Amino acid sequence: MTSTTAHTHTLDIINLNIALPRGQRLLRNVSLQLEPGEVRALVGESGAGKSMIGKAVLGILPHKIKMTEGEILLEGAHLNAMTPATRRRTVAKMSALIPQDPLTALNPVRKIGPQITDPLIRIHGWSHQRALARARELLDRVHIRAPDRVMHSYPHELSGGMRQRILIAAAFAPSPRLIVADEPTTALDVTVQKQILRLIRELQRETGTAVLFVTHDMGVVAKISQKVTVLFAGRVIEDAATHTVFENPAHPYTQALIAATPTPNVSARPFQPVPSALIAELHRDTVAADALFAQRGRR
Amino acid sequence: MADVTTNSPRLILTDTNFRLWLPLLWIGVIAAAALLAPLIAPHDPLAQDLMLERLPPFFMDGSEPGYWLGTDSLGRDVLSRIIYGARIALFVSLIAATTTGIFGSALGLIAGFYGGWADRVISRLVDIWMAFPPVLFAVLLVAVMGTGLGSVIAAIALIDWTRFARVIRAETMVQARMDYVDSARIGGARRAATLVSEILPNVMPSIIALLMLEMGIAVIVEAILSFVNLSISSDDPTWGSMIAEGRGAIHFAWWVLLFPLIALFMTVLSFSTLGEGLKQRFDPVLK
Amino acid sequence: MNQMTQPTPPALFSIRDLRLSFADRAHKPLFGPAPRVEVLKGLSLEIPEGRITGIVGESGSGKSTFGRILVRLLAPESGQVLFDGKDIGALGEAALRPLRRDLQMIFQDPMSSLNPRHKVWRIIAQPMKRYGRGGDRTDAITALEKVGLSAHFADRYPHELSGGQRQRVGIARAIALEPRFILADEIVSGLDVSSQAQVLTLLADLARDMGLTLAFISHDLSVIRHLCDTVVVLHHGVIVDQGPVEDVFEHPQSEITKSLLSAIPHPEMDETWWDDMPEPA
Repeated sequence: MTSTTAHTHTLDIINLNIALPRGQRLLRNVSLQLEPGEVRALVGESGAGKSMIGKAVLGILPHKIKMTEGEILLEGAHLNAMTPATRRRTVAKMSALIPQDPLTALNPVRKIGPQITDPLIRIHGWSHQRALARARELLDRVHIRAPDRVMHSYPHELSGGMRQRILIAAAFAPSPRLIVADEPTTALDVTVQKQILRLIRELQRETGTAVLFVTHDMGVVAKISQKVTVLFAGRVIEDAATHTVFENPAHPYTQALIAATPTPNVSARPFQPVPSALIAELHRDTVAADALFAQRGRR
Repeated sequence: MADVTTNSPRLILTDTNFRLWLPLLWIGVIAAAALLAPLIAPHDPLAQDLMLERLPPFFMDGSEPGYWLGTDSLGRDVLSRIIYGARIALFVSLIAATTTGIFGSALGLIAGFYGGWADRVISRLVDIWMAFPPVLFAVLLVAVMGTGLGSVIAAIALIDWTRFARVIRAETMVQARMDYVDSARIGGARRAATLVSEILPNVMPSIIALLMLEMGIAVIVEAILSFVNLSISSDDPTWGSMIAEGRGAIHFAWWVLLFPLIALFMTVLSFSTLGEGLKQRFDPVLK
Repeated sequence: MNQMTQPTPPALFSIRDLRLSFADRAHKPLFGPAPRVEVLKGLSLEIPEGRITGIVGESGSGKSTFGRILVRLLAPESGQVLFDGKDIGALGEAALRPLRRDLQMIFQDPMSSLNPRHKVWRIIAQPMKRYGRGGDRTDAITALEKVGLSAHFADRYPHELSGGQRQRVGIARAIALEPRFILADEIVSGLDVSSQAQVLTLLADLARDMGLTLAFISHDLSVIRHLCDTVVVLHHGVIVDQGPVEDVFEHPQSEITKSLLSAIPHPEMDETWWDDMPEPA
C-alpha cells in the first residue's frame, strides 16, 4: 500500500461521524481498529448505528446519509482521500460483504456460478478457469455437496442456510483482507446459525481475513469475536477484548445487555430487562454530546 | 416510559407539499372559474361577432382590449369559452370519476377479499372488458345512446371501471394477507365488517389516487369525444371542441388551439399529481 | 400420554392425532392436483389450564401452523381439537364466533397485526365492543395501563410506537377480552433484547396474576426456558420431545432437542461450545 505507518491496521476508523442531511447524527465520533486476522464484533440494539459503520467502510451508505467527519483507513490507505472510482476499486479488491438477508443478496434470475465468479474475474482479473476452480473449492469448503450442480442452480432452488453458505463462499473466494459480516445469522435457525458461525470462523482463520461482525446478539459475540465494540445511539460505549467484556464488563450498559440476553441456563443468572433509568441516562449523555458537537461546529 | 425508541413524527417532505399545493391551486382556479363562469367571463362564450374574428391575445399587435386570449374564427372570446369549458370538464370528470370509482372499487374489494368464485367472475369480466379498444367502445356507445352529457359520463364509467377493479383487487389481496385481518377475525369480526372497517381504510389512499387520475382521464375522454363531435352539442363550449376547431387555424391563429390545450394539460397533470400527493400525505406508514 | 411426571392441572386443550397438509402449488403438474406437503403429522398433546406451554422448533417444524389451528385461523384436516371438552376442529366460522373471545392471539409482527389506520384505543376497544364487554375509550385505557402503557398512548397510531410498545398493545388487546386461552406466536423475535426482556417479564407477570393459559411459540429455547412451565418440541410436524421444561432441558430425549440446545450461543466465554457439533449434512 502507498502510505504505511509503523504498524498497519487492516482497518482503522478514526473519529467517524455520519449524519442525515438535516444534521441528525447517526454515528458519533466512532473510532476502532481491526488487526489482521481478527474478528471484531459490533454490537448494539436497533438504531445504534452498528450497520452504518460497515456500510461507511464499504462505501455503500444509503442515499442521503453522509460522512461528515473522520477518517477510514483500509490497509493504511486513506479511503477519504481517494476519488470515488479509485475508492470503489480499492474497497472491492480488499474487502467483501456477507449480508444479512441471503434471500435478496443473490440475484434471483441469475445462476449461482457466475454470481460467485463474476467479481473474481472482473475485479480481481482472474482467468475464467481460475475463478471457476476457486468457486468450486470454496463451495466444497462450505460443505456444499455437488458444487457443480449448485453453480447451475438459481437461488430459489436452494434453502436459506445454503444460500448463506454460498454468500460466505463468495465473500472468502478472493481471500480479502477485510470482511464485513452484517448480521449474517439473524434470519437463520440456531442450528444453522452455529454451522454458519463455524464456517466463518474456520475460513477466517485459514485466510487470515479480518472480520467486522455486526450483530445484536451478545451470545454470538461471545462465540465468534476476539474484540467487541458496544454501541449505543451511534456512540462507542465500550471497546475491549471479548473475554474482558464478558468476565468484567466496564460499562453498566454492557452489563445490562449481557443480563438481558436469555440463556437456557436459568440457575446461572436471572435475565433482566435493561433498566430504563440507564437508557434515559445514556440518551441524556447523547443529547449533551450533540449540543457540544453543534457548539464546536459553529465556532 | 419503559421502551427506548420513540418514532419522531413522519418527515413531511417539501416535495410532497409541492405535489399537493400546486395542483390544488390550479384545480381551485379551474373550479372557481367553473362555478363563477357567468360572473367572471368577460363575454358570452357563444356570442359571435364576425367583425372580431381571430383576434390575437393581448400581448400581440392587433389585439382588442377585453379579449385577453383572443377570439376564434367566429369571433367568440377564447378566454370566456375556456372558462365555460371548465364547467363541463369539471362536471363530467367529477360525476364520471366518482361513478367509475365506486363501481370499480367495490368490485375490486370483493374480488380481492373474498377470492374464489367472486374473484374468478370479476377477473374474467375485467379481462373480457379490457380486450375491447376503449375509444372505439366509447364512440360506439355514444353513437348508440346519442350525444349528451349523460352518454359521455356513462361511456367513461363503462370503459374505466376495470382500472379501479384491477388495482384495488391487487391492493386488497395484499392487505387481506396482513395479520390485522386475522386479528380482526380473532376479535370476532364478521367478514363483511372486516372488509369495511379494516381493509377499506387501508385501500383508501389508492382509491383516492386513482380517483384523481380518473378525473384527469375523464377530462381527456370528454375532450376526445368533443374533438370527434360526439360529446354534447357542438355549440356548447368544451375544451375538446375548441381544440378541434383551433386545429384548422393553427398556422395563423395558434391561440385558438393553444390556450384550451394548456388548460386541458394543466388540469389533467394537476389531477394525477394531486392523486400521488394525496396518497403520500394520507398514508401513515409510507416512508 | 402420561409423560408428565408431576400432577398437572386439567387440560384446556386436548389434541388427538392432528394432521394437516398443504397443496404444493410450486410442484403442481400440468394436469391433475398439486402434490400435498404434510405439515403436521399426527400431533397428540394436552395444554394444561393456567400454565404456559412452550411450543418450540425450527422453521418448517409446523409450530406456527399448529398455533393457528389452536385459535382456529386454520382448520385441521383430521384429528380432534378439544377445547374445554368440545371439538372445535370442524366448526364453521359462525359457530366459532362466540368462542373466539376465549381464543385470543398475539401476533409475531405487531406492525402488520395492528391496523395502521386505527388509533391504539380503537384497536383494543373494538373486539371488546363486539363481545359486549364495554369497549369505550376508558376500557381501552384500563387495558393499556395493565401492560404498562400510559393513557396518552390511546390516541396514537401504531406507526408512532416502538416495536416493544406495539407488542404491548397486542398483549393489551388480547387480555382485554379476558380469554381462557392466548396464543403468543414468536412475539419477541422482532424485538431488541432490552424490549424483549421487558415484554417477556410483562407477559410472565400477567400470566401469573390473571391465571392465563398461554401457548408460547418460539424458535428460541432460552426464552422458552425462562417463561414456560411445559414445552413441546416440534420437528417436521412431529413431536420429538415434551414435558415440564426442567425435564426437557435437563434430560432431552431426542437428538433434535439436544442439537437445538447445544447450538444456543450463550453469552459467556466458553470455547467448548464449538466442540460437539456434527458436521452439516
